[in-house]
Amino acid sequence: MDRVKPRLGAALLRLFVVQGSWNYDRLIGVGVGIAEEPLLRELRSGPDNGAAYRAAVARGARFFNSHPYLAGMAVGAAARAELDGAPPEQIERLRAALCGPLGALGDRLVWTGWLPLLSAATLAALALGAGWWGVLAFLVIYNLGHVALRWWALQAGWAAGTQVVGALRNPVLQRGLGAVVPAVALVFGFALPLVVRWLVQPFRLPGAIACGVVAVVGLALLRWQPGRIASLWLGLAAVLVAAAGGWLWR
Amino acid sequence: MTVLEIVLLLGWGTLVGVDLVSVGQLMIARPIVAGTIAGLLIGEVEAGIRLGLIFELFQFDILPFGAVRYPEYGPGTVAGVAATHLIGRPDAWGIGAGVGLVIGVFAGASLHWLREANARAVRRAAPALEAGDVRVLARVHLGGLGRDMRRAAGITALGLLTAWLVSRDAAALPPHVLVATSAAAAGGALAAGVAGLFRLIGSRRNLRWLAAGLAAGTAVLWIA
Repeated sequence: MDRVKPRLGAALLRLFVVQGSWNYDRLIGVGVGIAEEPLLRELRSGPDNGAAYRAAVARGARFFNSHPYLAGMAVGAAARAELDGAPPEQIERLRAALCGPLGALGDRLVWTGWLPLLSAATLAALALGAGWWGVLAFLVIYNLGHVALRWWALQAGWAAGTQVVGALRNPVLQRGLGAVVPAVALVFGFALPLVVRWLVQPFRLPGAIACGVVAVVGLALLRWQPGRIASLWLGLAAVLVAAAGGWLWR
Repeated sequence: MTVLEIVLLLGWGTLVGVDLVSVGQLMIARPIVAGTIAGLLIGEVEAGIRLGLIFELFQFDILPFGAVRYPEYGPGTVAGVAATHLIGRPDAWGIGAGVGLVIGVFAGASLHWLREANARAVRRAAPALEAGDVRVLARVHLGGLGRDMRRAAGITALGLLTAWLVSRDAAALPPHVLVATSAAAAGGALAAGVAGLFRLIGSRRNLRWLAAGLAAGTAVLWIA
């Protein structure tokens, strides 16, 4: 095992491009296969002339989907199971079983938690005049959490192998899941008045009123018809109507 | 805009484009980062931060779950900053936001095309992949990375071209048109951000936290 452990670093580096060939057939499967391959090289020296290695590589590159930051858990666990000689069917079941939980956990923890939390904090910092230092702080703090999560996931998968589902019950993760959305609500709430003031500051009263009207009507439309009206089209329509209206009202 | 500035923005927009999905996901693709750095590169930090903040609010309304299709605001933000810089007038950032939103539509569509192209490459290589051929596996993956890099560069180039075309006419617009478009962009962004937040926080219990945050933010506003 000691000979394999340093290759965790290679697998981690490859995990940073795990979505490089994202496609509708295998989703991130090919990227997972790429990340898993360094961990499987032990199998090349087997008595079967590398057949086990090639079979493991092929399995690793099949359909897979998860949150990209947590894909390492599946990579580590599947590679460990391959090296431990687990039956192919068990490895396939393991991969299939991990798809849902790793996707849901990562989405909740990162896309609806860590990322919007820091994004809202950065909005507040910028509205208070932090300038580009606020953006730099966002990048550094976000990526400390991001890289730590990727590394933890890979190590946890590698350590647990087929027993990896237990790692998902990590108490720190569970507490984080419970706290992160209220924290987003709190920090976004804090940021909102500051951002509103900062956005309307350049305008005189008519401009500020126009901004407020667009915001209220837009929010009502987005809440009234969620999924049918996209914020992008709403924003674009507002800008075009304003441009046309302003042009006509000369 | 100088040739150096164009090259810098093209390079930055490409990095921003590949960061969204393919490489790193370090969040340089977030508008707040993409816009601020674009502003730094061409000496328009204020416009960069302003457009970054506006598109960051639009981004709040996007949850990139699984295979869902969504607009891409990173290169759009870079294009918006370029347009604002080229117009070179106060309050031109509303027009910049409009340019960025248009590019966001094309960038989002290009992600779908990229995924389909990757799927075709995977289908062509399926027999070799099923045989565990590592070279083919690497080729398919690197092919996807290369495709995304070309996509991101193309979208950024389209954004810069659009910014240049729009700026030629927008430079002569009356001031109140610039104010109106900026107010509309800011209002639209606020609507998107708050709508996205409501989707995110869901339950009533979290509304209490939102209210507490609003109270604290208002107090700071009062004091500052």
